[in-house]
Amino acid sequence: MERRDFFKKAAVTAGAAALGSSTLEAGTTHQPVDNRKPMNVTFPEKRPLIVYSDRPPLLETPREVFTSALTPNDQFFVRWHMPDIPTFIDPDKFTISVNGLVNKELKISLNDLKTKYEQVDVTAVLQCGGNSRSAFTPTAGGIQWGSGAMGCARWRGVRLKDLLDKAGLKKEAAWIGFNGSEKAAYYETPNFIRELKLEELDDHVILAYEMNGEDLPYLNGYPLRLIIPGSYSDSWVKMLSNITVTNEYKKLFFMDIAYRVPDNETEGETPEKKFPKTKPITKMNVKSIIGYPTNGSTLSHKSEVVVRGVAWDDGHGIKKVLVSLDGGKTWKESLLDSGRLGRYAYRAFRFHFKPTGYGKVKIMAKAINNLGHEQPLSKDIPWNHGGYKYNGIDEVTVEVV
Amino acid sequence: MKKLLLTAVLAASPLFAQISAKGEVPYVAFPVKMGQGFDEVQANCLMCHSFGYIINQGKQSKKFWRGKVDKMIVHFKAPINKQSADIVVEYLFEHYGNGKEE
Repeated sequence: MERRDFFKKAAVTAGAAALGSSTLEAGTTHQPVDNRKPMNVTFPEKRPLIVYSDRPPLLETPREVFTSALTPNDQFFVRWHMPDIPTFIDPDKFTISVNGLVNKELKISLNDLKTKYEQVDVTAVLQCGGNSRSAFTPTAGGIQWGSGAMGCARWRGVRLKDLLDKAGLKKEAAWIGFNGSEKAAYYETPNFIRELKLEELDDHVILAYEMNGEDLPYLNGYPLRLIIPGSYSDSWVKMLSNITVTNEYKKLFFMDIAYRVPDNETEGETPEKKFPKTKPITKMNVKSIIGYPTNGSTLSHKSEVVVRGVAWDDGHGIKKVLVSLDGGKTWKESLLDSGRLGRYAYRAFRFHFKPTGYGKVKIMAKAINNLGHEQPLSKDIPWNHGGYKYNGIDEVTVEVV
Repeated sequence: MKKLLLTAVLAASPLFAQISAKGEVPYVAFPVKMGQGFDEVQANCLMCHSFGYIINQGKQSKKFWRGKVDKMIVHFKAPINKQSADIVVEYLFEHYGNGKEE
């Protein structure tokens, strides 16, 4: 069905709604849900995580993991789109194909990737565009993530550019389609394919087979996935199996309908009046999360507390992270790590304080990047129908006893 | 209820025909509510996704659930006929509804 038909259908639904009650809610934004606990079920190569679904697997990393710049593989979040994920891949037989508008089609084995191409490392944040979606009311479409649909890892692999150079792009090459091995239940369901514009692919885009020094975990896309530092993870195709070079863009559900925000300055809209034009979510905005302490925890009066967390953006780099203990009236600068993991990685921050009173204390963290962009308060983030790109100032409330 | 859940898994099992020791994903028994229309939900929704997807949305209006079922048909090409779609929407609203039409 064409996209136009969808809008027609949507319009009918909206029309029906208009005839109904008059209690239309305005869109509001608040702190994301933060009370979910890891489920005592273990998924392959993972410690217990917050489970939204087993099929396809949807696993969230708990807040307390975000105290250091690298996220352990066994606690790294998981998000698949299709129910049928190959459960056995023979690394000796696996190949990645490069075809389409190339001079020479390639089928490269994992071993050749590791030995015949330059090996490169990049440390980069992988974050779902819908991370923190539960911050939006009314409920925005999609999984109602808390703040842990993300992680940061050191990825090792080969440059996409090196593969494309080896294959030799034809003059008319303009788009590159990537598809993974996950499959839908029905043949008619659109495959999870991403198309990226050739000119937007820089040297930092790699095909990674290693994550934090180990083979990619099965649930994070073994044996090979696309890494696009600075971009949201919807384009980081997992279990990558095929790369096709084309001269024109093909319409795709996961490109044209999903993972899009209103194409206006604030990227906002209201539930009753959705903005007609949308754009892809692409680059990440500036954001930070407090890993310690967590909401509802107890701190001792006059103890030496070190608030810890992580901050990141799309690669412009974090300038500072400010912390407030008085509801945002005053802000103090936290201590940032060296930044040696590179501009696409988390910057770990720490902030020391000694609670001198008793009772509830709200700790807030706000990151500012090198462009001067800073996180807004959650209530100031405009609602959007897909619940994408939430980056509100993080808050945790603790009890001093 | 356990028995019904098991049937639901079996109905979906061809999708996991290639399962082997390495990547076996555990089955999670989400606390699903039984009731009228559950068979349609089992037959139409579980082909592609677990109950987690439904429960995770929280209590929602009938319009919300109608929109979700439409999305599955329009975008994901789920072969759900109109009658089944209506039954599924009723079930979702009955058990995961907020009492509001919209």
